[in-house]
Amino acid sequence: MIAAITYSLCALTAAVCAYLLLQAYRRGGYRLLLWSGLCFTFLTINNLLLVCDKLIFPQIDFSLWRNMSLLIALAILLYGLIWDTES
Amino acid sequence: MNELSAVMLGAGATASLVASLFFLRFWRQSRDSLFLWFSVSFATDACTRLMLGLGHIADEQQPFFYLARLATFCFIIIAIVQKNWPRRNGS
Repeated sequence: MIAAITYSLCALTAAVCAYLLLQAYRRGGYRLLLWSGLCFTFLTINNLLLVCDKLIFPQIDFSLWRNMSLLIALAILLYGLIWDTES
Repeated sequence: MNELSAVMLGAGATASLVASLFFLRFWRQSRDSLFLWFSVSFATDACTRLMLGLGHIADEQQPFFYLARLATFCFIIIAIVQKNWPRRNGS
């Protein structure tokens, strides 16, 4: 029960973070918000895969896909952080 | 967990730590609490991924590691809303 609530809320809060960051980017145009928003979009996918892995399809191992989505999320964010720092 | 997943988990933990240090630097420059929460969030993420990768943690204990992630996501949401709230009321 705790696992189901925790994993689901992680996905939900990551989605809310992505929405708020991308919304703030649309209003302000500050590029770091875009990179952060895209990062949280992939973190939402990462957490949805966690829900699939642990709760919906426990017999299937999603760890490779989960870690891949995490790396994409962080690669986007780090690219943005380095790019914005240099500009 | 297979070897490739373990390598990717380690790379993800390192990348999270690097992102955390970037946000910490932004916080030191601007004193904007949003950057501090981002830094705390990614540092927590790096620690939990490192612990999940290193330790042989039982499935029943894993949700408690993810509670830390959930808490930091909530703080980020609060920080974003707080940052935008005065602007909405002021306009």
